[in-house]
Amino acid sequence: MTQISTATPTTSSGRKVAISLRGVSIGYGDKAIVEGIDLDIYEGEIMFIGGGSGCGKSTLLSSLNTLRAPLSGSIRIDGIEIAGADEDTLQRVRRRFGMMYQLGALFGGMSLLENVRLPLEEFTTLSNDAMDDLARAKLGLVGLAAHADKKPSEISGGMQKRAAIARALALDPPIIFLDEPSAGLDPVTSADLDAMIVALNRMLGTTFVVISHELASIFSIGHRFAMLDGARRRLVALGPPMELRDSSPDTWVRRFLSRTPSGDA
Amino acid sequence: MTHAAPTVRATTSGDKLAIVIDGDLVLETVGAVQKALEAPLATKPRRVSLDLKGVSKIDASGVAVAVRLYRFAKAAGLPFDITGIDGDRKLLVDLALRGQDPQPAQAHLGIVREVGMRAVEGFETIKDLLRFCGEVSVIALQIIRRPVLLRWNDTVVAMARHGTDAVPVVGLLGFLIGAIIAFQTYDPMAKFGAKLQVADVVGISIVRELGPLITAIVLAGRSGSAFAAEIGTMKVTQELDALRTFGIDPVRFLVIPRMLATLVVTPLLSVYASILGVLGGYIVLGPKGITIMQYLVEVRAALTIGGFLQGLAKAAVFAILVSGVGCLAGIRTGQGPGAVGMSTTRAVVVGIVAIILADSVLGSFFYSLGI
Repeated sequence: MTQISTATPTTSSGRKVAISLRGVSIGYGDKAIVEGIDLDIYEGEIMFIGGGSGCGKSTLLSSLNTLRAPLSGSIRIDGIEIAGADEDTLQRVRRRFGMMYQLGALFGGMSLLENVRLPLEEFTTLSNDAMDDLARAKLGLVGLAAHADKKPSEISGGMQKRAAIARALALDPPIIFLDEPSAGLDPVTSADLDAMIVALNRMLGTTFVVISHELASIFSIGHRFAMLDGARRRLVALGPPMELRDSSPDTWVRRFLSRTPSGDA
Repeated sequence: MTHAAPTVRATTSGDKLAIVIDGDLVLETVGAVQKALEAPLATKPRRVSLDLKGVSKIDASGVAVAVRLYRFAKAAGLPFDITGIDGDRKLLVDLALRGQDPQPAQAHLGIVREVGMRAVEGFETIKDLLRFCGEVSVIALQIIRRPVLLRWNDTVVAMARHGTDAVPVVGLLGFLIGAIIAFQTYDPMAKFGAKLQVADVVGISIVRELGPLITAIVLAGRSGSAFAAEIGTMKVTQELDALRTFGIDPVRFLVIPRMLATLVVTPLLSVYASILGVLGGYIVLGPKGITIMQYLVEVRAALTIGGFLQGLAKAAVFAILVSGVGCLAGIRTGQGPGAVGMSTTRAVVVGIVAIILADSVLGSFFYSLGI
């Protein structure tokens, strides 16, 4: 693996680890897609995880968000082991992160306000007015307060993704997972979304783990990039995206990050 | 994690309400702060200010306090200002307040608007129905002239899925309904010494009426809903648009094979349901001392060719209604995640209502013809 160390936030000295993976293998049934992943994601970091199609990045995400147990290894979120953990432990861990799915996964029968309110209704004892205010505040942070009463089908795809981030923020989790946030968005909307992630990361100190191979986003907002390779079945690079692109000893990593066609040397 | 309990100080000077908050303003504490604001806001101030200088920590939930006061002030047309924040905190609050102005209430047009909207919806439905009937008729005529236009493989597959696969449930229901009719009518008929005539009741009601009806209702639930869901999903995923851009008519490609398959299998299933219904009747009458030959001779005597054909005709009409309603519901599927579910529900409900209505009309028609 290419490990490039630079100044913060890529060094571990003095930084708290939000998510820790040790010897993690992921896959389906007995078949491993990627093996032996060792990775620390620090608090307040924007970490991109990517790789070629079928490299296992979405499978890794489903292990990080507790939906699929890894084949082997250890995953700790805020110090709590989730590999092989019982349902009660997983429920506790789930309160520590929010999740935005690729297509938003907003509940179609509810308004945006109701979507963001839902976690508050389930996990807090706030009054109805207070929950409304909280949900409106979260929608305001993603620029959708004026659309609070609309249904997901009445807004654009980019707005749905922002609303999904507002819902992920509902309980102020310290970690947010984003699955392909820029997929299907125009460059301006995608850049707006990136700016919003940076603003939330800076203002709230939220750790963002972003599954994406959108190079523009990786270079503009990613603190570090972890690259998986399905052919070699391992994590092949970890470090600041620019440095990996310019000086990674791994040809595939440089080619991937510089968008070089496979026929070119 | 423990948080510094926030304190809320509200002071009124003249008509200005000044709110000062100290401590941590986070998800765990914001509920108490919101509650503490209720009494000061009820004093109907003419100006509101919020000082967050003493707030040691604020998160994305904490800014909800600012949102509450901002919306309160804007709704009442009052001036509102926030002090004691700068840098990222100011950015956080400013972002949260974007677009928070209360929306003006939509003009309520009441019953006139409601009636108008329903009328337009009804008109659109009728228009879609007529267009659909027209398209189906035209394409059916084209296929009669050039059978090669029909997608035979799809039709056969649809026959297997919606015919063969429905055999067990249609048979079971037909058998049980026949037994139930015999069971319910035996005692009243026996009082008049007409035990054997229970066979007439079972035969006539099953063959003319209930055989086709049971089959059609099962088909509405199994096949009508499946047609709506399949075609509706294809519409949502733009597969119908893809067909059109290839120059392929979705009605010929998707609707006709399904309608034709249903039209073929429904009368056959209806006959099958009728046979099992008659057998079901004998399950009750057999133990009462009526032999199978007596029973069958009585049923045969009660039935006429006209009655049998009436059952077949009804089954064919029901088939067209069920499949047409299902396919049309699929084609009319709207946008959004709930659209396919709504189309499926519509296909089943409208399909069953259409079957019963058609049954009433056809029953009266055949009765007036003396069949």
